[in-house]
Amino acid sequence: MAKVVIEHLVKVYPEKGGPGVKAVNGINLTVEDREFMVLVGPSGCGKSTTLRMIAGLEEITTGRISIDGRVVNEVLPKDRDIAMVFQNYALYPHMSVFDNMAFGLKLRKLPASEIATRVQEAAAMLGLEDCLRRRPKALSGGQRQRVAVGRAIVRKPKVFLFDEPLSNLDAKMRVSMRAEISKLHARLGATMIFVTHDQVEAMTMGDRICVMKDGNIIQVAEPLTLYNHPVNLFVAGFIGSPPMNFFRGTIQRAGGHLVFVETSARPAPLTLDLGDVLSARAAGHVDRPVVLGIRPENIHDTLTLGTPDPARTVEVNVEVSEPMGPETYLYLDTGVTSFIARVRPTDRFEPGQKIKVTFGLDQAHLFDAATEQVLGNAKSS
Amino acid sequence: MKAGRARNFSLGRPLIFTVLLGYAAWVIFPMFWVAYSSLKPDAAIFRDTFTLPAADDLRLDNYARAWREARFGDYFFNSVLVTGVSVTLIVALGAMAAYALTRFYHPLARATFWLFLAGLMIPAQLAMVPLFFELRALNLLNSRLGLILVYTANGLPFAIFILAGFFRSLPRSLYEAAVIDGCSEFSAFWRVLLPLARPGLVTVAIFQFIGVWKEYFFAFMLVGGDVDGSSRTLPLGLANLSINAQYHTDYGMLFAGLVLVTLPILVVYLLLQRQIVKGVAAGALKG
Repeated sequence: MAKVVIEHLVKVYPEKGGPGVKAVNGINLTVEDREFMVLVGPSGCGKSTTLRMIAGLEEITTGRISIDGRVVNEVLPKDRDIAMVFQNYALYPHMSVFDNMAFGLKLRKLPASEIATRVQEAAAMLGLEDCLRRRPKALSGGQRQRVAVGRAIVRKPKVFLFDEPLSNLDAKMRVSMRAEISKLHARLGATMIFVTHDQVEAMTMGDRICVMKDGNIIQVAEPLTLYNHPVNLFVAGFIGSPPMNFFRGTIQRAGGHLVFVETSARPAPLTLDLGDVLSARAAGHVDRPVVLGIRPENIHDTLTLGTPDPARTVEVNVEVSEPMGPETYLYLDTGVTSFIARVRPTDRFEPGQKIKVTFGLDQAHLFDAATEQVLGNAKSS
Repeated sequence: MKAGRARNFSLGRPLIFTVLLGYAAWVIFPMFWVAYSSLKPDAAIFRDTFTLPAADDLRLDNYARAWREARFGDYFFNSVLVTGVSVTLIVALGAMAAYALTRFYHPLARATFWLFLAGLMIPAQLAMVPLFFELRALNLLNSRLGLILVYTANGLPFAIFILAGFFRSLPRSLYEAAVIDGCSEFSAFWRVLLPLARPGLVTVAIFQFIGVWKEYFFAFMLVGGDVDGSSRTLPLGLANLSINAQYHTDYGMLFAGLVLVTLPILVVYLLLQRQIVKGVAAGALKG
């Protein structure tokens, strides 16, 4: 069992004449055996620091980390049975690819035949058989990253740690390496903890994603749960590309039902009928400021809908039209808020054009404007 | 390319070559003269100063006498010993010190580093008198060990300065990868980071070798009082030769001695000139 348990983990960097910088603020997390856990968040959120504490490269200020049931706070990195893949690969420049991968095994005094077997196996898995005699400087970025991964594989560790390994690669390489790492996980069935700031990597690779901000864990859940049930404004806006659209306004009573009214100086602000699903959640927030969040794919061009609901249809300005191929991103403007809609590619739109769009509010979210928490239930695991 | 620029170019080049050739001849000729004069008998050196030695009368006995009577054999051995041990210590201790000072955080690290740098800035002559008394108190005067200690201490600041630059340029993740792979602190240094500082090590070794080999000042002060001369290094032996022979100078032997002193450095330079030039350039850039 290679389960990683983090309890009340705190990391404070000492500061002269001050309380110090709290990089990690007392987090609790359990990574199950064989799980691919992604730590994601903006720069400075503490994800790399957490990973390095798991690896043993940073001292733990307070709290406990256990790997496979054993508390490893005081254990040296080499005795924790972990392997790490770094952002800048950290390959040994003066050694060949073979020696790079064999280094850890040689240090542990494995017999030469066993070393050769393991390296050959890893090289075959990663397509590196032709590169074994070369030095790192004779390899491309993608090859170097694969060597770094190979170096981790041959050690057969309990836990694999990845510290933003794809950030130094070009976009195309990143996409293919993402798939390679996912395949590797399926093949090896090992526990992997992956740190990234890229939410696309997080969504596509993780069994579960841990969203962090300012040293705290905001939400831990499966990718689609995070996508469909974000627990606050930050998670909602962080996950998903293009990002969720946010409209600031208030809930008001109009006729027998609740509507969302955008805060606007204009004579006819955006007004949307909430409907049953959202009304239930908004019941306690009448006349209070809220943020309406709706994803681009839930805003529809009225031309594509059979029967657009007039209570949720508005006329807006087209700012920019970005044809992506399979779909078009429309940058629209209510006069107060700019937002994005994903529409069918066959429709042609010109900047400055006025079009009608319908909001699919059943998939939308309401957030309290002050606390930024989602209204109603949000699933998290 | 403009016609004007082409003209300037063709005017400048021969001129530059002439100047450089002239300078090279100016510098090389005396050494060359000493070398071929060392094969002539004394009388011939005075009589036909600049003629090449007669092919049938090459006085190789000048060399034999320099080696035995002028005891250049002993001095050569002393120089090899003192230089060899000093340079080895300088490189080894300097590398470890530079590594420790740049890799590990410690409140005193910076102060220690500046202390070593201060050693570079203080001229040796200032330390002259205190050093003499110190070595005398330790009973290390007129001994090769004393010389080795002084040369090592003297060469360490330079080594640390150069090597610190090299170690700082290595990414921290290399060390971390080594540690995760299973290296102890020392193996991470020895097997991963030190090999990557090899250009720095070679630079330091070459410069210190040349510096220590030809060093006269400290050698004279600390070993010069050695009556039987058993600890003298080559520069001392050479000076001794010209000092003692006041009335009759065996020039042939003297020149042979000079050649013996210069030869090792010449060989080192010829073998490693590429490294030396790289080292100077790297020092200029990294410093």
